[in-house]
Amino acid sequence: MREIKRVLVADDSDTVTTVLVTALELEGYEVETAVNGLEAYEKGLTGDYDLVILDQLMPGLLGLEVIDRWREEGCQISTIMLSGVDDDRTVVGSFESGAVDFIRKPFRIPELLARVRQRVQG
Amino acid sequence: MNGMTIGVIAVAVVLIVDVVLLLGLVTMKTVNRRRAQSYKLRRAGYVATLSRRLASSAAADPIEARAAADDAFLDAVIDLRNIVTGHEIETLAGIVDGLGLARRQEARLRSRFPLGRRLRAAVSLAEIGDETTATVLIEHLSDREPEIRIQCARGLGRIQHTAAIDAILERFDVEEPWVRARFADTMVGFGAKATWPLVAYIRVNLRPRDNEGVVEAIRVLGVIGDREVGPTLSGVLRVASDPEVRIAAIEALGVVGGPLAIKPLKATFRSTDWRLRAKSATSLAQIGDPSVNSLLARGLEDANWWVRRNSAAALAALPGGADLLLDAVGSDDLFARDAAGEALADCGALAGAREREEAGLTNAEDRVLLAHMTGQVLA
Amino acid sequence: MIGEILLWVGYGTLVYFIVMQAYMIGLGLRSAAVMRRVHHLERFGRVSEMLSSQTSPPVSIVIPAYNEAAGIVDSVRSMSIVGYPRFEIVITNDGSSDGTLEALVEAFHLERVRIPYRPDIPTAPIRGIYRGHGAVDITVIDKENGGRADALNAGINAARYPYALCTDADVILDSNCLVGAMRRIVEDRERTIAVGGNIRPLNGSKVQLGHLVEAGVPRKLVPRMQVLEYLRTFLASRPAWSQMEALPLVSGAFGVWKRSAVIAVGGFTSGHLGEDMDLTMRLHRHHIDNQIPYRIVYEPSAVIWTEVPETLRVLRRQRVRWHRGLMTAVRDFMPMTFNPKYGKVGMVTWAAMFLFEFLAPIIEFIGWITIPLAFFLGALNTTSLVVLLAIAFGAGLLNSLVALLLDESYGYFNSRVDTARLVVMALIENFGLRQVTVAWRIRAIIGGKRTRVWGNMERKGVANLGVEAS
Repeated sequence: MREIKRVLVADDSDTVTTVLVTALELEGYEVETAVNGLEAYEKGLTGDYDLVILDQLMPGLLGLEVIDRWREEGCQISTIMLSGVDDDRTVVGSFESGAVDFIRKPFRIPELLARVRQRVQG
Repeated sequence: MNGMTIGVIAVAVVLIVDVVLLLGLVTMKTVNRRRAQSYKLRRAGYVATLSRRLASSAAADPIEARAAADDAFLDAVIDLRNIVTGHEIETLAGIVDGLGLARRQEARLRSRFPLGRRLRAAVSLAEIGDETTATVLIEHLSDREPEIRIQCARGLGRIQHTAAIDAILERFDVEEPWVRARFADTMVGFGAKATWPLVAYIRVNLRPRDNEGVVEAIRVLGVIGDREVGPTLSGVLRVASDPEVRIAAIEALGVVGGPLAIKPLKATFRSTDWRLRAKSATSLAQIGDPSVNSLLARGLEDANWWVRRNSAAALAALPGGADLLLDAVGSDDLFARDAAGEALADCGALAGAREREEAGLTNAEDRVLLAHMTGQVLA
Repeated sequence: MIGEILLWVGYGTLVYFIVMQAYMIGLGLRSAAVMRRVHHLERFGRVSEMLSSQTSPPVSIVIPAYNEAAGIVDSVRSMSIVGYPRFEIVITNDGSSDGTLEALVEAFHLERVRIPYRPDIPTAPIRGIYRGHGAVDITVIDKENGGRADALNAGINAARYPYALCTDADVILDSNCLVGAMRRIVEDRERTIAVGGNIRPLNGSKVQLGHLVEAGVPRKLVPRMQVLEYLRTFLASRPAWSQMEALPLVSGAFGVWKRSAVIAVGGFTSGHLGEDMDLTMRLHRHHIDNQIPYRIVYEPSAVIWTEVPETLRVLRRQRVRWHRGLMTAVRDFMPMTFNPKYGKVGMVTWAAMFLFEFLAPIIEFIGWITIPLAFFLGALNTTSLVVLLAIAFGAGLLNSLVALLLDESYGYFNSRVDTARLVVMALIENFGLRQVTVAWRIRAIIGGKRTRVWGNMERKGVANLGVEAS
């Protein structure tokens, strides 16, 4: 079990990414980023992360599709879905695909950090 | 002055204009490029600083004074306001107040030109305005620029300034359709607080024709979804002669009507106007009472294609309706069959039948449905 | 004597060109007034609020697909996240032989269904209909091959919503394009029957996974010339035509059409090489003849990106096809040309289409012959010739510069490289490339067996265009 947990943040908005990276780094995590679904998918396969925070609406592969593909490869990463889209299909679909949590945008930073603490693997 | 001289002058004029435009173009592009690069850097910097402040008050870097006048800073604040919520919003509001950002934008909005800056100010105020901004926003609901009017309404909606509801409603009749539609969106944002003002507006303004404002207001009531307006809308349905109004009322009743709306909707389902019949079918399904199933089943054989389609979709959504659809799949009426088939496919009954087929567990109904689906399609 | 005649004919052609350029400058100035609003909206308007609106009219996106297996799935996927509250996607598989249908069925988990399909517009026989219900409702019509117009008609038949966005499979939609176009419709729902969009060449831009990452000006001359051409048309002509409510052409690559209006005139004409122009003009004619209030407009902020020919060979096929389509349209709508009954369409924009688009290659060709002949016969004063040529060149350059300035509203192409490429192109385009297109169009008019009708455009599969090697 690692001392410093590694987190991947995948979102196409650089503002969201900056907020998440800042908050997580201040909490002591090691953070990397991805700007679209394909990059998230590739990094997730090889990157050895303890947690992934994934935006649903990204160009290329959608967040749900990324999780599905990881599962096809036998890759099990603890994933929190982050999304401004609030309909049932997205929320339920996320859990069915294997996400461990779902956070709506806009989000509260302390709440997000608490959920990360709970869900980070290892 | 002979032709040659005119010709030469013309050449000179054209070429001079060309050179001017060319230089202008290159200059604009260079300026825009530098501006864009600088903006990007500044904004990224501001986002980083503000993020640190939001993440932990202890890690607060000071905000430079020049940020107050910088549009990039304002944009950063606005973006962050749309991403985070809770206590962070108050932090951002505090920053906005401390630097007087809203006041600055209000001044810009009040100025007479340039349009670009005024529009930007309106957009910003829609995002960061507070109660004290409400006055300016209401003033500019009648600005000559439609985009500014839209943003002002939007801002009033965001700060939930209920006193503005009447001011916005007053403009429903005089506004152009696009702006009115965006005003309607703002009304939706006010939610239940807008309900009774909307009802009052409808009562006062309902006419035999030219009811665009009333139609929009009825639509808004349908979206807000407050059940208490059901009886009002049923009343409108009875009284109004304008078909556009009646259609809007039928649609809204699907959401807010409840069981009391079933009777008037059954009546409109028998209207001579196919649009009323089609919309009534959809609304009856939304209310969800299966007592209308047999009536809807007759709709499968209506002369109008849309009525048949909506009736089928309605049956698919109602408890027990799927059985009637399965009956229709075997009927002699080709269109009733197809309408029923489509509805059953859309609601997942077809997928269910196919799954059972793969597992070898089909029942008689499944077989009828599957046979229908794999038959020859019309050319 | 002959020399004199030739000379005056030659002068005549040059004057013709100057008049043509003057007309275009006039359009450009008028367009500038229209584009001013677009400029502000592009930079400051936030369109995203409309996306949660319940009251926007739903739209069916209709896509004809023939042998598009390479990129259709990525294309549909990126279209499915276009910004708009309510829409469906209807794809017509026009008898593809490369597995287009199978690719779609597998990627989107489609199932074969029977739905009430009403052939409001007759088409080639339908083989099957497939439906899927993911994030967006997708319907695929599988039919026997009938050409693009036929495939669009089938899609329009099957569309559920009152408005149909007809586009192509290899197009990249800007996320605000549909909101922009539908705004024009909501402005005047009764009358608006079609809205045309702004098409930009994708070549030279960076694309990833079906999304435009960064716009760029192509290095190669052939696509670069087209960048300027498209800017002149879509920024400096169409806004003016639209403001006159006399838009003669809603482009096939992006047009939002009112279904009922299209069905009323019989849909797109099958086999027509310029089916988009044909439909637009038929709509004008139908509504004017029957005195039905209507308007057809153009929306500059409805931006889409598409690949344009990279080589002269493919470009030639395209231009020959376009010109033959134009010939058919000119013949069909001759009664409208210069006919005051048809208002500004007949008297201005369609007249200009006839005079300046259709006749231009003929007149230019006459110029190529008469002027050198006059020179050799000693009838030509070199100075006069130079003066007129200089004015023609200067005016042509003016048009390109106006278009480039109008393009500043969008903020693309600001890098040094892009700026240099554009300026160079504006200066050299009249020395060679344009003349070649004129030759092709003369060829098209003469006809001939060598001019193939529907070439295959070599597609890279737009979704996977990498950065063009610079």
